[in-house]
Amino acid sequence: MTMRNKANVVIIGGGISGMAIAYNLAKKGMKDIVVVEKEYYTAGATGRCGAGIRQQWATKMNCLLAKKSVAFFEKAQEELAYDGDIEFKQEGYLIVATTKEEDEQFDKNVKLQNELGIPTQKLDKEAARKIVPYLNMDIVTSATFCPTDGHLNPFTTTDAFYKAAEKLGVTFYKFTTVTDIVVEHDEVKAVVTDKGTIETPVVVNAAGGYAKDIGKMAGVDIPVYSQNREILVTEPIERMQGPMVISFSKNIYCQQTPHGAFIMGRGDNRPPGYAMDSTWEFLDEMAKTVTELLPPIGELRVIRQWGGLYNMSPDHQPIISDAKETKGFYMACGFSGHGFMLAPMTGLLLSEMILGEEPSMPLEDLKLDRFEGKDITNMEKSVV
Amino acid sequence: MKNKEAVIIGAGPAGLKAAKQLLEAGAHVTIIDRNKKLGGQLVKQTHKFFGSEKQYASFRGIDILEILVQGLKPFEDRLEILNETSVVGLYKDKVVACVKHDNFFKIKAKSIIMATGASEKHLPFENNDLPGIYAAGAVQTLMNEYGVKPGDKVLMVGSGNIGLIVSYQLLQAGVDVVALVEAAPQISGYLVHASKIKRLGVDILMQTSIKRAIGKDQVEQVEIWELDEVWQGIPGTERVLGVDTVCISVGLAPLTELLMQIGADVEYIRELGGNVPRIDFRYETSIKGVYACGDVVGIEEASSAMVEGAMAGIHAAHDLGYTVEDESRKLKVLQEELKFLRSGPHAAKVRAGYTKLEVKT
Ligand SMILES: Cc1cc2nc3c(=O)[nH]c(=O)nc-3n(C[C@H](O)[C@H](O)[C@H](O)COP(=O)(O)OP(=O)(O)OC[C@H]3O[C@@H](n4cnc5c(N)ncnc54)[C@H](O)[C@@H]3O)c2cc1C
Ligand SMILES: Cc1cc2nc3c(=O)[nH]c(=O)nc-3n(C[C@H](O)[C@H](O)[C@H](O)COP(=O)(O)OP(=O)(O)OC[C@H]3O[C@@H](n4cnc5c(N)ncnc54)[C@H](O)[C@@H]3O)c2cc1C
Repeated sequence: MTMRNKANVVIIGGGISGMAIAYNLAKKGMKDIVVVEKEYYTAGATGRCGAGIRQQWATKMNCLLAKKSVAFFEKAQEELAYDGDIEFKQEGYLIVATTKEEDEQFDKNVKLQNELGIPTQKLDKEAARKIVPYLNMDIVTSATFCPTDGHLNPFTTTDAFYKAAEKLGVTFYKFTTVTDIVVEHDEVKAVVTDKGTIETPVVVNAAGGYAKDIGKMAGVDIPVYSQNREILVTEPIERMQGPMVISFSKNIYCQQTPHGAFIMGRGDNRPPGYAMDSTWEFLDEMAKTVTELLPPIGELRVIRQWGGLYNMSPDHQPIISDAKETKGFYMACGFSGHGFMLAPMTGLLLSEMILGEEPSMPLEDLKLDRFEGKDITNMEKSVV
Repeated sequence: MKNKEAVIIGAGPAGLKAAKQLLEAGAHVTIIDRNKKLGGQLVKQTHKFFGSEKQYASFRGIDILEILVQGLKPFEDRLEILNETSVVGLYKDKVVACVKHDNFFKIKAKSIIMATGASEKHLPFENNDLPGIYAAGAVQTLMNEYGVKPGDKVLMVGSGNIGLIVSYQLLQAGVDVVALVEAAPQISGYLVHASKIKRLGVDILMQTSIKRAIGKDQVEQVEIWELDEVWQGIPGTERVLGVDTVCISVGLAPLTELLMQIGADVEYIRELGGNVPRIDFRYETSIKGVYACGDVVGIEEASSAMVEGAMAGIHAAHDLGYTVEDESRKLKVLQEELKFLRSGPHAAKVRAGYTKLEVKT
């Protein structure tokens, strides 16, 4: 297959972000869209993630992005005309507090979320126990619960966007690596890959953990770094847990997938880099934490453990932006561990930006220039 | 976490030979195997071996095993055997995660020798999970290790040496081997074995495969059909056979998962059975201090597994700082043996595989 040598836009990255951007651009009528992926689709964070969908955030921006994305996921199956199953289960997120500070922060979070129309409730111990009866009540002090949160299947959801985009005429190249971006007079001219060069006036950086490197190719300094996050899956058992259970102080998230396996992870602070190792330390710590918080789940056998890259931004909120220094260069990165759930909005906002349309949401808090010479006052703390 | 010097994962012929060399050189050795008995595949091999004189040709597998185990006896004070122990994780810092009788524990190794062998491949066909469908090696284990007859009427799928030998052993046990089907146009194992079972009345059907198994709670019948040159079933050629057991013998795949987890470079080489680690001529993988030998580096035979095991053991001992007596002569002799073992027409595939892997032997 010879590669086409011209396009209107080249999207770098075949994860959920790249697919959602391609779909939105094509839906708006753009032609000659190319997506380039160095491995297979979902090879990055997308295929490695927990695919949890939550609206319970501590910053307004994350709350709004998540809320609007949930609204999309609720009708995604039909809108994308997908013949598979994206497995959207809305059985809520139960976020438990184990310290007094957390309990107080949760009051603030719930207030913010309710103001934005997110139906979160603050629960006492007893009410939390009604939702997940085997929670360790000796350590849980209170909880918040949002019934419309949930989780998805990351593979089929990405596939749904991919198939819908393909139907609209998007061209895809997998196992093709972008090695350079040609910029002349501060304007994007072409994308160079190991299989050929594509002339294009617009490049979208949706390269996940490698977004900084793609930025460098276009002369754009993006203040993000990548970090290994580990996760594991157990043997499947009968369905027993509806909601995702998470705790920031205990550093754990844990859900049961529709086919019965439990998926759980934690957010240990690792040195910046591209390693995606699995470690025995993670296995040890994960086992201890889950046994403490959700004792019966400690009995399950682990089937597999793996790692993936979080792409961290300075305020733990995404960067959905153009670049002042290079015309035609756009980016969707720095998702800081929650880019899967935001993909519908990522796709919408970036397509509006590229096509010069009125944005569906104010963009100041998403743009790259928000970090210029300013202290970060609006840091998202609700991250595992 | 316990600290250990040389940890050998897998107690088949490769692992046992590696242990012997390490022990002779003075190292402390821990052998881990998930089975109760040491010996890997040899435990169930009651047939006389083919192969070279030096590597015990015409001995039975179980006798070779006895010799290998006896060879470790003088070193018992430096040898630890963890049987019924599965290695379930292998990490960059050479931590070996183990499970024994539902207990989880970790060992930190100075050097690791991977001798995990291979697992049997399965075939996709309708009802391939009905009770009564076995891998050939499992049938061998049932009969030869536990004395259990797997069934009364068997369809054997695959004409490699394992399929041929297990067919013969089934006949010896009084089981009716109704037919042996093979997708290729020629027998893939040794002709002597094929002739033997043909003489005993087994119908050997070339360019034929299983289409589906039929039965409610277990296999009652199978449908077989003929294949064209590109191994696609030819409609209209279906035949139904009455059998209660299907024995699948369509090759082995190296057990490379642990090596992938630790991050060793692995490559898919069809001729060697699947994903195999990149090793250098010292049997060291891309990770320093982690060696691999035997079927896990390419499906071959017990004879070559023993030679490779010995070489890996010598190099590991050397790298741990031990003096191996007569090292270069020993290695030279082993090289020669391996060359001889891989010289025949039957080893053409293996030779091609190693050429692809660019292993200098
Ligand atoms: C363990 C873990 C758990 C997570 N849990 C959740 C969760 O519960 N909920 C949630 O919303 N988010 C979660 N996340 C975060 C989420 O996975 C990511 O934010 C999201 O998947 C990012 O998608 P993406 O398409 O932007 O990036 P990716 O999926 O990483 O895709 C980027 C793609 O770009 C390709 N690429 C990179 N460089 C090049 C190049 N030079 N040329 C061509 N292609 C290139 C990569 O191969 C990759 O496929 C989790 C992440 C991890 C690691
Ligand atoms: C029916 C049959 C007939 C054969 N006939 C001959 C013959 O006549 N001549 C000949 O030379 N060869 C013959 N072979 C081939 C020979 O048996 C193999 O090539 C040889 O056994 C490979 O040795 P190995 O040490 O690499 O692996 P194996 O013998 O397979 O030993 C591997 C060991 O590792 C253990 N193990 C694997 N993974 C783990 C883990 N995660 N944790 C703990 N333990 C683990 C396994 O339980 C096993 O005991 C025959 C094979 C079969 C099946």
